[in-house]
Amino acid sequence: MQVDPVCGMEVKETTPYKTMYKGKIYYFCGPACKREFERDPETYLREGPKGMPE
Amino acid sequence: MRLRADRDEVLKVVGMHCSTCVATVSRAASSIKGVMDVRVNLATGEVRLSLGEGARLSEVVKSIRRAGYDVVTQRVDIAVEAREEEMPKLRELLESVEGVLEVRTGSGLVSVELNPLRTSAETILEELRKRGYRVSLAKEGIVARSDFRDSSLRLISASVLSPLVLLVNYFPVALALSAVILLLSGTKFLRGAYRALRNGTANMDVLVSLSSVTAWAYGLVSKDLGFLQASSLLITFVLAGKTLEAWLKERISKEVPEVLRVKARRIVDGEEREVDARELRPGDVVVLRSGDTVPADGVIDEGEVYVDESPLTGEPNPVLKGKGDPLIGGSAVLSGFAKLYVTRSGERTYLAQVAEAVRRAEAVRLPIQDFVDEVSAYFVPTVVVISAIVFLIWRFALGYPLSFALTLSIAVLASACPCGFGLATPTAIAVGIRRLLKRGVIVRDGEALQRLTEVRTFVIDKTGTLTEGKIRVVKSEGEVRLASCLERLSSHPIAKAISKLSEGQCEVRDFTEFPGKGVHGVVDGRTVLVGSKDFVLANCTGEDRGADLLVCVDGRVEGWVWLDDPLRPEAIEAVRRLKAMGYRVIIATGDSSSRAESAARALGVELRKGLSPEDKAELVRGLGKVAFVGDGINDALALKEAFVGVAVSSGTDLAKVAGDAIIPSIGALPSLLEGSRRTVRKVRENVAWALAYNSILIPIASGVLYPFYLPPEWAALAMSMNSVSVVLWSLVQ
Repeated sequence: MQVDPVCGMEVKETTPYKTMYKGKIYYFCGPACKREFERDPETYLREGPKGMPE
Repeated sequence: MRLRADRDEVLKVVGMHCSTCVATVSRAASSIKGVMDVRVNLATGEVRLSLGEGARLSEVVKSIRRAGYDVVTQRVDIAVEAREEEMPKLRELLESVEGVLEVRTGSGLVSVELNPLRTSAETILEELRKRGYRVSLAKEGIVARSDFRDSSLRLISASVLSPLVLLVNYFPVALALSAVILLLSGTKFLRGAYRALRNGTANMDVLVSLSSVTAWAYGLVSKDLGFLQASSLLITFVLAGKTLEAWLKERISKEVPEVLRVKARRIVDGEEREVDARELRPGDVVVLRSGDTVPADGVIDEGEVYVDESPLTGEPNPVLKGKGDPLIGGSAVLSGFAKLYVTRSGERTYLAQVAEAVRRAEAVRLPIQDFVDEVSAYFVPTVVVISAIVFLIWRFALGYPLSFALTLSIAVLASACPCGFGLATPTAIAVGIRRLLKRGVIVRDGEALQRLTEVRTFVIDKTGTLTEGKIRVVKSEGEVRLASCLERLSSHPIAKAISKLSEGQCEVRDFTEFPGKGVHGVVDGRTVLVGSKDFVLANCTGEDRGADLLVCVDGRVEGWVWLDDPLRPEAIEAVRRLKAMGYRVIIATGDSSSRAESAARALGVELRKGLSPEDKAELVRGLGKVAFVGDGINDALALKEAFVGVAVSSGTDLAKVAGDAIIPSIGALPSLLEGSRRTVRKVRENVAWALAYNSILIPIASGVLYPFYLPPEWAALAMSMNSVSVVLWSLVQ
């Protein structure tokens, strides 16, 4: 299991929602979290999960 | 729809895998008016709703689907023996059945979308049978199909007996003969009238029965042979019109064969044996010779044949097919000899899938339907009232004899035709869909034709839709061997081009694909990332050199690839025509390279580049009434989200392709637009025609042109020509 860096949920590695940043793969629970992360990856990596994006 | 106050419903929602989804789904459901309480169970996917007054379950389903989740529903196609003008009532009746989400009606067909957690096809069929309708599941054979045979048999018996009624001067014989016509040839009308009245509606049968029975009864009482003759001729003439109409309708529906009813030569133990095409199974081998119809879908095992696929794909020229080429069941073998390895037969064939798609597409509900429903609801009662007023005026205000006043009031009943309104939409849609099919365009949702006429913007996918989709590598520098190994695991068009760059063997582990961005994996022990410029540079260090794709090995950019994907000639022409027609055209592509810009520049249209499949879906959602044209599989999300989704696909498995309509190539888009405009125009013209016809014929039948007036039988003939003319008008160009 992996942790969604945006909402903090556990997600499986088979999820279709994933991206790569600075050579590391990140997994998401859905399209909203993925979009949110891609908009500003640094903030989430620095400050950790913030819960569901609205 | 009848609205029930305060009830609980359960829906099964698919695609919820986390708590955001739960929040999104509840929000989507609660946004619908009248939804009081929503409880979502993530584990079971069940959504329990408490619905108040005015809440429509179908709206809730739509809202959840718009939010990106699917709701499990079932579509049942039911063949019903009912007149077109009864359809509004039938729809209302079905929509009040618990668990029914949406009802669409076609000619002799009802398509019901239901919630399988609440109801079933059997319950719906039972409900209809209870109300006197003859029904069957559409797949098990269409009831309406026998309409022509049934009508012609009744017409033949009526045409044999009617001249006798005219010739015989002896009252008891004439009475008996006309009674036989009324009961034998006229049963269909009497039964239809009874069924309609029982369900609180009125149709053409009510008017025909009322006029013929009144004429006959008055003939019986007054011993006037003229009224008996009028009754018999009236039924004969209406039957003549109905038979012609049934013949025309049958001709329209036969344009799409339901299943392949041909013989096939199957090879069993090295010998050819003739079997029915429906008995073929995947894995069978059949022999094809010139003049044969290909009995199933399959692949050529040996030999070569020229085939005509025009009825299936719209491709006008004969195509040569050799070993390994796919053949579609239903195409004609023009010359040659081949053995076909059957891959799909019977219900699974492409042809059967098309037939099913067409049947479903025909069940529609267009905006004009509200007007038609309104007219149909008041039409028959109004005509009966007019008929009574005509009688009173001629008999009492003008003082004409009873028999004359009665003749005119019967003529009014016989002259009024409610069927034209009912036929207007289904026939125009059926003809429109079939016309398009001949050009290789498959319409899956008849309502999409209407929606297409409202669209002002086209969003078109680039790769594979506007371009050949066969991406070529123009130039490459640096490390490409590892990239080529990695890309062999992906089916993306770009990946296919890259994978051909080297032949060497390598070992790949931990392969991951990032849709619309690139691929990542460990190749021969080295971490490799291949993808678009922006994606790779967010993960590795190095320079881009203006290339379209970068190859990053162990964190450093070490390879550069330049690509090219030429525009299709027909795409240039199609976009030019769209622009000439005043449409706004936007290219939406996952490609973020300079190729996207040059393509948009060459076509002179707007560009949105670097979009993921979800971004495309979001783009079309934000633009409102747009049509999205793209790949049926990769762009499924945007196709579903768009106001109209047009898939470009030459595949032969419709189930895998999303979209309201499927075109073989972008070049067919103008045909689809033209076809939809024509169909929508025909629907309106048909309604206007039916209205005009009645508003001219009824006054004439009332005797406004006296001393010229219409005897009841001629009024009936003119009436039945109304529906015939609507069908004919749908057929003419």
